[in-house]
Amino acid sequence: MSSPLDKPQIISHIQKSLNYTVFDSKWIPCSAKFVCLGNYARGTGVMQIYEVQQGEAQLIKEQEFPKPIKCGTFGATSLQQRHLATGDFGGNLNIWNLEVPGTPVFSVKAHKEIINSIDGVGGLGIGDGAPEIVTGSRDGTVKVWDTRQKDSPVANMEPGEGETKRDCWTVALGHAFNDQDRCVCAGYDNGDIKLFDLRNMSLRWETNIKNGVCCVEFDRKDINMNKLVATSLEGKFHVFDMRTQHPTKGFSSVSEKAHKSTIWQVKHLPQNRDIFMTTGGAGNLNLWKYEYPSQRSKTDSDDLAVGVAGSVTLLQNATLSTQPIASLDWSPDKKGLCVCSGFDQTVRVLIVTKLSQV
Amino acid sequence: MSGDEGIYPHLIMFCEDHLEKLDPRSLALRKEKPVSTAACLPNDEWSQIADELKKWQEETKASETSLKQQSMFDALVFENMPPIRGSNCSVPLCQTSVKKEKWTLSKHTLPRDYREWDKFDVEKEFEKIDRNVDKHDAPAIINQGHPKIKTKVDASLLTQQEKLLLANREKEKGNEAFRAKDYEEAVAYYSRSLSIQPAVAAYNNRAQAQIHLQSWHDAMRDCERVLELEPGNMKALLRRGTVNNHMGNFQMAVEDLRVVLREEPQNAAATKLLLEIEKKMKERQPEQRRRGKQILIQEVEEEDDNDKTRAKETARPVEPSQPVGGEESSAAPVERGDMGNTQKKPHSRGDGGPHSEPNNSHHGHRRGKGASADKYRVTQESKEKVANGSGKRGSTASAPADPSSRKEPPVGGNAGETVNLDAPCGALPPPLSRLKNEGNLLFKNGQFADALEKYSQAIQGFTDSGMNSPEDLCILYSNRAACYLKDGNCQECIQDCTRALELQPFSLKPLLRRATAYDSLERYRKAYVDYKTVLQIDISVQAANDSVNRITRQLIEEDGPEWREKLPEIPLVPLSAQQHRREGPPSAELLQARAEKAARDAERKAEVHFTAVKQEGNDFVKKGQYQDALGKYTECLKLKPEECAVYTNRALCYLKLERFTEAKQDCDAALKVDPTNKKAFYRRALANRGLKDYMACSSDLQEVLQQDPNVQEAEKELEEVTVLLRQSLANVSPAKPRTTVPITEVAGDEETLGAAQSESPRGEEPINLQLTNAYEYGQALNAARCSGNTAACAALLASTPPERLPHFLSTQLDGNTISFIMQALDSHLLEKDPHLVYQHLHHLHTTHRFSVVLMLLEKDERRYMTQLFEHLSAVQSAEFTKNDVQNLANKYI
Repeated sequence: MSSPLDKPQIISHIQKSLNYTVFDSKWIPCSAKFVCLGNYARGTGVMQIYEVQQGEAQLIKEQEFPKPIKCGTFGATSLQQRHLATGDFGGNLNIWNLEVPGTPVFSVKAHKEIINSIDGVGGLGIGDGAPEIVTGSRDGTVKVWDTRQKDSPVANMEPGEGETKRDCWTVALGHAFNDQDRCVCAGYDNGDIKLFDLRNMSLRWETNIKNGVCCVEFDRKDINMNKLVATSLEGKFHVFDMRTQHPTKGFSSVSEKAHKSTIWQVKHLPQNRDIFMTTGGAGNLNLWKYEYPSQRSKTDSDDLAVGVAGSVTLLQNATLSTQPIASLDWSPDKKGLCVCSGFDQTVRVLIVTKLSQV
Repeated sequence: MSGDEGIYPHLIMFCEDHLEKLDPRSLALRKEKPVSTAACLPNDEWSQIADELKKWQEETKASETSLKQQSMFDALVFENMPPIRGSNCSVPLCQTSVKKEKWTLSKHTLPRDYREWDKFDVEKEFEKIDRNVDKHDAPAIINQGHPKIKTKVDASLLTQQEKLLLANREKEKGNEAFRAKDYEEAVAYYSRSLSIQPAVAAYNNRAQAQIHLQSWHDAMRDCERVLELEPGNMKALLRRGTVNNHMGNFQMAVEDLRVVLREEPQNAAATKLLLEIEKKMKERQPEQRRRGKQILIQEVEEEDDNDKTRAKETARPVEPSQPVGGEESSAAPVERGDMGNTQKKPHSRGDGGPHSEPNNSHHGHRRGKGASADKYRVTQESKEKVANGSGKRGSTASAPADPSSRKEPPVGGNAGETVNLDAPCGALPPPLSRLKNEGNLLFKNGQFADALEKYSQAIQGFTDSGMNSPEDLCILYSNRAACYLKDGNCQECIQDCTRALELQPFSLKPLLRRATAYDSLERYRKAYVDYKTVLQIDISVQAANDSVNRITRQLIEEDGPEWREKLPEIPLVPLSAQQHRREGPPSAELLQARAEKAARDAERKAEVHFTAVKQEGNDFVKKGQYQDALGKYTECLKLKPEECAVYTNRALCYLKLERFTEAKQDCDAALKVDPTNKKAFYRRALANRGLKDYMACSSDLQEVLQQDPNVQEAEKELEEVTVLLRQSLANVSPAKPRTTVPITEVAGDEETLGAAQSESPRGEEPINLQLTNAYEYGQALNAARCSGNTAACAALLASTPPERLPHFLSTQLDGNTISFIMQALDSHLLEKDPHLVYQHLHHLHTTHRFSVVLMLLEKDERRYMTQLFEHLSAVQSAEFTKNDVQNLANKYI
């Protein structure tokens, strides 16, 4: 056995208590700053920008909004602009210039109800093709937005007439490895996972993991779909190998019981797609590594290719608090640096060591 | 034990330890840990992390400010963006609903953006339609995305910083794909990274990925590029070593690995590879010899390999000269195939390629020296060139049969001790060529100043005579430059070289000399340009390669990473000069060389075709389809009737098909081409055995064993055959198929035997014609001879299979017997069966001691023989021609 110090360590670097409930925290690309999004007890929204300086997080900017902000992304902005796209409780999609956060540079009433999740691709040099934002809402729809088109989404994935509307808890963009191909993955409260092909404008694959899907993420957005991790309400996560799709069996997967409670978030390390962190409802973090099988596909009895899932290994875990960790974000610039926020009204900057050695 | 419930830490620990042994991945072992803090880490480790973090913070701050200043490019970025996706189209959530088709189709009713049409991929659309049509049994979709990944990224609008970031990210993607063993994808991403910004690491990684994909040439190119950017990069050296190993350039691989080990003596990978290669190199020679033996035993497999090797060797598109240097000739056959292609591109560093010249004795010697001796090397080389210059390309490269080297006018007289000072030099008049040769001799002796004078005189004379022969003047200047260089007069050397180059642009030697001169004047940039030009002309010039590396390092030290920008322009060498090293009007020689080359090409093509057909044949043999193989081999023989191996292979097929006669014929043909071919002997032995001609069989096997006593199969066969032979000799075999000759029984055929009896005037006891061994035969023959009964002899001969005659006669042959047989043949058999006579004669001369007996023949006896042949040649026959008879007669008379 290797000594425990050879493994990656999760180190709490900075801990900052806040006076509001924080839903999301995100690093600002190409900087040592991060934003926190949440709501004040009085029912208004808030955005704060902190900068990491000499072992402390210093508040640089704060802005209050009429509606609580649920989620945000930098995925569809250019490196120079670094505009933050947010979704709020009122179903509004806003894009902010962080230099002047008073008025949004883009605003649309995107959904009838709260936007649970938001993701972007095509910006920051990640993903070929147009910058696009996808939002998922309690109203059951998933919409794709192009900021150059003001009022209507460029794609709308909604239940047909008469179908029950499920609460969409999470969305993720991926498969953006050329100008045309792009996929949206959405997870619903009933355990449905749906994969939409934006190129063909069709549903490409769906499955059900029996429990509500809290978070889905592709291991990388800007490559040919490789892996997808979906976390669930009861503490399991599933890793799908997205390279081989069987006509009936779909994508093969491996699942792992990771936490004793809900897994709120999964985030892949931007510098290594095979390492990811899951955050649990009991305030703990698990760091995982996916290992590929020797053969990623095989042929079944009907001579059709079917994928072979690999295995996951727990690299490290750490308990931060007793409250759920609702968000986590790896720094895109500094390997091993991440920010996470929980319902204990605390934001933490963590350092994960020895990630290059695993 | 108390029996109470409770927590027992020792018990828990024991259980956990045990569980860990049984199932280290068990969930029960996962314990929640509190988050670590800085205090949990050793001090130094934490301070290192903190330092890094601090540094990163400062760096990002700086880069952030620079980012902010560049936001004016935004408009441009937008212009470059792909168009907005269709418009608000809905995708239903339910896959199976009928409505969906409608929705999906609705998108296409919209008019398309013009730019979208540009991207319209017809095949994709077809595919899409196909997929919609047979939705139900759609094949599995395998996302092999890499062909669709663009390998180039348009980074023209990005700032340096963004480029760096992007390039890094693409490289990371490459690394990930590499780890997932998607090597092609990895290569694609590394290429993307490199298209944004070339970097050593990406090249290095791509090289590794290419190694996994076994595209050795690409890997080699990447390694070379790394080494160009960063000479002495260990990884690149190690990888180049690996590539060279796989390409069969063991010598070069060893060199690279030695360099690695010199820097990193504990590098395990390098050590291992080096050992492996050295073992391979050692094994090679004996291995080939051993294989030679096995060929005979193993019927097809081994032989294929060998043939393949041979075919490839001849099919190689390079020079006609066969590789002589030990290392090259024995490269593994499989890698050979690779090599053949590469040689077209002069990627290798001169002395490694399989077509290095045979007389590369000074090669190894020079290569042995350290890199520090560069300068010395160059001069030494030039000295050699001047000294034994007769058109032989100094040392560094290229096969002697290269057409270009023939073109080069001879510089000196003969190499070696006896120098003919009046040897003609190009178009120089005798006095000038004498001067030049004297100069060469002086130079060789180390009297540079005197040589210089001679050359100067020659140049003076040349200009005075007003001749128009720039080549010769160029050589004179070039030689004088060598003298200047030797004397350390670099300025003059440069001047002379420049003059020479004006006369003959892109000639190698003056360029190299000028480069050396610049180099010693420490004018590195100019030297670099010249060396580079030299390498463009002939990549294999080792001295130039080394110097370029050294100067690159020097310049990077001086000018930093932008050193290239300060370089003068490197002239582009025209293609014609690249291969022939010298421009000039196509002389008759050149044309001839070209014609030869064309002929060689045609030959090569035929060779390739031949090889292919033969390979097919071999494959059929392996599969056991001998009939098909037979056809292929026959085709082969039409292409190349003198290919020994094909004959033997076809013989094998015949053997397998039990067509022994044809097999034997093929073996005979093979032996005609190669009289010592063991395989042919062996197979003829098998054929003979099949024909039940054990005697011939055994003699063939003995032949095989005489050539190579180690062939066990032949030994075994011989034993068996000897047994069979004894048996066949022992019992007068009535069942022997050999005895299908007309007269087999005493009381049988009335015609011949009756004639024999009636013509025997002495009426002696009839001769037993059914003879099976030499003794009986000899008795019968003697009986006939003593009684002068030619008719009986003729009957005897008629009943003897011609091919067995030598065997029967073996011990009894003397002059009398021969003439008696001749008479018998002449008087009785010739009329009835001229073919039989011919056959007998055809075999008779192979009898033991025949030539000796022939010498001792008396006049009368000779007369009989001549008569017989005269008669025979007068006979018209379908089985043989006059020529055949004539040939046969030559053996007798």
